[in-house]
Amino acid sequence: MSNSRISRRQFISGGKKSKTYLDRLNPNWPTKEVAKLIRANFEKNPISHSIQKTEKTLPIIHVKNRTNSLQEIDWNLDAAKHLLNRTLSGPSYDEINTSFTSGLESTVQSLLEEQSLPEPPGIWVNEDLPNWNSLSTAERNEIIQSYYNRMNQFRRWWCERMMNESINITETMTLFWHHYFATGYSKVFYPQAMYHQQQVFRTHGLGNFKSLLRQITFGPAMIIWLDTGGSKKHAPNENFARELMELFTLGVNNYSQDDVVAASRAFTGYVTDGIQTNYDFETMEGWGYWWTDWHDFDEKTFFGQTGNWTGDDILNIILEQDECAKQICRRIYKWFVYDNVDESFISEMADVLRSNDYEIKPMMEFLLLSEHFHDPNFRGAAIQNPNQMMTGTIKRLNLQNQNFPTNFFPNLQDSMGMLLFEPPDVSGWLGYHSWINSNTIPMRKIVLSSLITGESPFGNFGTYLNLQTLSQSLYNPNDDGYPSEQVVRKLAFIFFGLPLTEAMEQQLQDILLNGAEPYDWNINLPSYNSQWNRMKDMLIHMFRLPEFQLS
Amino acid sequence: MKRREFIKSAFALSAFGTQIPIMALGRKNKLGRSVEWESDRIVVLIKLNGGNDGLNTIIPVQNDIYYNARPTLAISQNQALGIDDYNGFHPSLSAFHSLFQNEQMSLIHGVGYHQPNLSHFRSSDIWVTGSDANEYLQTGWIGRLLEQEYPDFPSNAPDHPLAIQFNSANLLEFKTSESNTGMMVFDPETMYYLINGNYIPGENDPALDTYGGLELDFIREVDLLSFEYAEVINETAAGGSNSIEYPETNLGYQMALTAQMISGGLQTPIYRIYQSGYDTHVDQGNTHNNLLSDLNNSISAFMQDLENQGLMDKVMIVTTSEFGRRYFENGSTGTDHGTAAPTMVFGNHLVPDLFGEQPSLSSLDQNNNLFIQHDFRQLYSSIITDWFGLDQNIANTVFGQEFESIPFIQTPLSIKQTPIPANFTMEPAFPNPFNPTTILSYTLPKNGNVTIRILDLRGRKIKTFRLGIKNAGKNKFILNGTQLASGTYIIQIDAIGSLLNQKITLLK
Repeated sequence: MSNSRISRRQFISGGKKSKTYLDRLNPNWPTKEVAKLIRANFEKNPISHSIQKTEKTLPIIHVKNRTNSLQEIDWNLDAAKHLLNRTLSGPSYDEINTSFTSGLESTVQSLLEEQSLPEPPGIWVNEDLPNWNSLSTAERNEIIQSYYNRMNQFRRWWCERMMNESINITETMTLFWHHYFATGYSKVFYPQAMYHQQQVFRTHGLGNFKSLLRQITFGPAMIIWLDTGGSKKHAPNENFARELMELFTLGVNNYSQDDVVAASRAFTGYVTDGIQTNYDFETMEGWGYWWTDWHDFDEKTFFGQTGNWTGDDILNIILEQDECAKQICRRIYKWFVYDNVDESFISEMADVLRSNDYEIKPMMEFLLLSEHFHDPNFRGAAIQNPNQMMTGTIKRLNLQNQNFPTNFFPNLQDSMGMLLFEPPDVSGWLGYHSWINSNTIPMRKIVLSSLITGESPFGNFGTYLNLQTLSQSLYNPNDDGYPSEQVVRKLAFIFFGLPLTEAMEQQLQDILLNGAEPYDWNINLPSYNSQWNRMKDMLIHMFRLPEFQLS
Repeated sequence: MKRREFIKSAFALSAFGTQIPIMALGRKNKLGRSVEWESDRIVVLIKLNGGNDGLNTIIPVQNDIYYNARPTLAISQNQALGIDDYNGFHPSLSAFHSLFQNEQMSLIHGVGYHQPNLSHFRSSDIWVTGSDANEYLQTGWIGRLLEQEYPDFPSNAPDHPLAIQFNSANLLEFKTSESNTGMMVFDPETMYYLINGNYIPGENDPALDTYGGLELDFIREVDLLSFEYAEVINETAAGGSNSIEYPETNLGYQMALTAQMISGGLQTPIYRIYQSGYDTHVDQGNTHNNLLSDLNNSISAFMQDLENQGLMDKVMIVTTSEFGRRYFENGSTGTDHGTAAPTMVFGNHLVPDLFGEQPSLSSLDQNNNLFIQHDFRQLYSSIITDWFGLDQNIANTVFGQEFESIPFIQTPLSIKQTPIPANFTMEPAFPNPFNPTTILSYTLPKNGNVTIRILDLRGRKIKTFRLGIKNAGKNKFILNGTQLASGTYIIQIDAIGSLLNQKITLLK
C-alpha cells in the first residue's frame, strides 16, 4: 500500500476515530442490537404526527425569469436529470439518458401523458359497509384490524407503483395531490374512502382543477375529514369552509371571517356513511332528510354576492377569484421547483391556468418547459421527501422485486415523518427543511443502508442486490474512464443532486478500490468476489453523505 | 454554559494533511457577549396544538351567556373545580386545582394578540415568531433570544443544546438569522447510536453559490450539530432518572424524557413539548376531557418527579396555544376557531394568582370572538426578564418593542445546584420505627427556607411541609404519622438548594 492511500483513508475516517469508523463501513452494520433497539423503541413509542407548520424564506438568489423560449434551455444530461428528479421518484441512469436523447419537449410530453388506473390493491376497495349493529365486539375488532392491515397493504401498493413507474409524472402528481388535499385515514376510518380519494387524484390529477376540487369536496373522505358531514343550518361547522379557502383555493388572508361563515352555511346538509354520500353529481344537490332538514337554503352573502348558495355555488364563486389560481400554482411550485416562491413566476403560471379554464396539464407543461424551472440554481436544491427517496433508491438499485418485510414501507414512512394517508394535518407535509432534523437524518441513512445490508429496524431481509448487473448497466465503453471510474461517477450522478466534486470522487474511488488500481476493478467478476463488498461500502458511504439528501 | 468551538472538532485531515473546516461556516465571530446568561433556570413550553378551548379549561361559572351558548358542551358550576366565585377548572384538571391551591400555579386570562388571525397556520407563525398580526418575520422569538447570547452559533456553540423540542419540525420558533437553535429529540439512546454509526466526518468542498449549495450547507449543519449534541443528550438522559411513573401517552413520554435529561444535568434552558388534538370542531366533549386529563396527569407527574429530585425550583412550565375557540358551540357539538385564551403556568416561584379576568362574552369583536387582555409577548417577555433574569433590553430586542411584564413570577433569582455542604446534616430519626410520632433533627449551615417531604418508596410525594425560614444550627421537626398508613417512607429535607433523604418506618 502506498503512503498516499493511507493518508486518504485517514482523511475519510477523520483521523482518530478511524478504527470504529471502518467498522461502521462494514456492510454488517447496522448491527442487530441497534436494529432491535429501534424496533423496541417503535413498539414503545409510536411516532406522533404532530408537525408544526411554518413559513420560511431564504435569501434571494437571482434566477432566470419567465421566458418560455426553449432555445435558451441548455438541454444536456444535467438538465434531463433535473427534470426527472422533480417528476419521478428517482430516475435511473438509463431513464435520464433516454430522456436526454429524446429531447425536452418529447420527455415532457411523455411525463404528462395520462395513465389508465392501475389494478386496485385488493377487492376490498369495492366492499360495502359492514352491518356494524349486528356484529359482536370481537367481530368488530376483527374488521377494524383488517382495515388497518388494508391501509398498510395500500401503502405498499402505492410504493410499488412508485418503484415501477415509467417516465411519467402520475405517481408524483398523485402524491402531490394527496399532500395538497391532505386527508388522514385515522379520522376517515374507511380504507374504501381513502382509495376512492386516490382514484380521484389519479383520474383528475392532470385534468381540470374544478372537477378535481368538486370530486374531493363531495367525496366521502373529505366530508368526514373536515367535518362537513353533520354540519347543520343555524349552527354550521366552519372547519371545511375555512380550510377550503385557506389551503385548497385562495390562501390565508384572501377572504374574511364573514366569507367563512357564509361558506360554512352553504356546506350544510352533506353527509356520508363512509362510502356513499347524499350528494348527486348530476343535479349538484343533496338528497334525503339531511338535505331537506339540515341544508341552509336561506340567502348568504359570499364575496359580495348574495343568493341561496349551495356548496357548488361557493366553489364556483371561489374559482372566479384571481387568487385561486395563484394559490394552486404556489403550492405546485413549492413541490416541483423550490420552497422559496418566486411570485412573478407564480403570476405567469396562474395566467396559464386561468386562460386554460383550470386545466392542470397546460400549466404543468408551461412549468416544465420554462427557463425558470430549468435554472441551474434549482438543481440539487430539493430535499428529497422520504418516500420518494426510498422508492427512488430501490428503483435505481433494481430492488423492486425484493421481499421486503411486512409493513416495511409504512414503518419507514412513519420513522422519517411521511406516513402516507396520515399527513400531520390538513395542510399536508411541511416538507423542505422539516424533513431533516437530528432525529430523521440518521434514520434516513440507516434505512437506506438497509437496502445494502438487508438489516433494517423493521425486520431483516435477504437482499437481492446485484451489483454486478448494476455496474454492467452503468458502464459504457464509449464513455470516458475505467469501469470503476464510470461506476463512481454515474452513481454519484444519479444519487446526488449536486455535481460530484473532485475530492469526493477520489474519496469514493478509494473506498471502491480499497488499494487496488482502477484498471483492476472488473465489472465481470463473479458476485462472490470481495470487490463487490467494497462497492457496498461505497454505496453506504454515499447514503451517509449530506449530498445524498438533495436531488 | 461552557462553550466550545465546534469548528475545531469538525476538522478533518485532508489528503494533503492540511486542516479544512467541515462546514463553510464563514461566519463572523462577533466580539463580546451581549447577554449574561447566568441563570440555570429552565422553561418547559407546552404547545396545545390545534387551538385549546379556553372557556372549557377555566370555566366562567357565573356567566349565563356561556351556558346559553353551549347547551351541550358547557361545564356546570357543580362539575367545575372552583377557583373563586367566577372561575373553575375543568373537572379533568383536578391536579391543577390542587397545584393552584398549593401555590404552584398561575393563570393568565385572555392571552393572544390584536387583529387575531383564525388560521391555525398563520396564528401559530405569529406566536412562534413573536410578530404583530400583520408582520411576517423569518426568525423565531427563541432564536432571537438565544442569538443574543450566542451571536456566532453554531460555529461557536455551548456544550449543551440551546433548546430541545420533540416530535415536531417547528423550525421557525428556534430560528436565528443564520441557524437553528432547536435540537429535535425523540429517543436519546437510539439517536446516539444511529447518529454515531452513520456520521461521516469531513466533507470539505465549499458548497456552490446556488440554492442547491444553500441547502447543502443546511444539511451539513444539521448533520454536524446532531452528531455533536447526540452524546451529551444521551449521557444526561442515561444519567438522569424519573422518580415516578408518567401517563403512557405521547405527552407523558415527552415530559418524562425532559425530566430525565434535566435530572441527568442537561443545561439546556428551553424545551418545547407538543400535545396535539385540540382542534375540536366536532364532538368536543370527550376529546377535550381526554386531552386535558392527559395534560393534567403529565404535568403533575413531571412536577412531582422534579420535586422529588429537588429540581423543581429551577423549572417553570408554560402552556401556549395558537388561539382559543368560539364562545358558542356549533351544530356538530364542537367549537370553531376563536381568539384569546388562558395560559397556565406551573412552578415553585410563581405568584399563585389569576391575572386578568374571565373574558366578557357580551363585548366581542366583529367576528364574535373574545378580546384579548394580555399580548402573548407580555408572557414571553416576562419569561425573559423575570424568569431568566435577563435585562429588559434583551426582551425589547427580541420583540422590537417593549412589552410590560405580567407579574406572575416571583423576584428572579439564580438557583445554582451546589454540592451538599458538609454542615448541612440530618440525624437518624428517633424513634424509628415509630408510632405515631418521630423526631427528626437536622442542622442548617445558614438561615434558609426549609421544606420537608414524605415520599413513598416509589418516590411519590405523600405530604409536603413548608416550614418557612429556619435558623442556622440545629433544628427539630416532629412528624405525626396519624394520617399515614403503616409502611416505609422516605423523609426528605429540602433546604439551601440541597436535599437530604432517609428511610423511616411507621408501624401501627
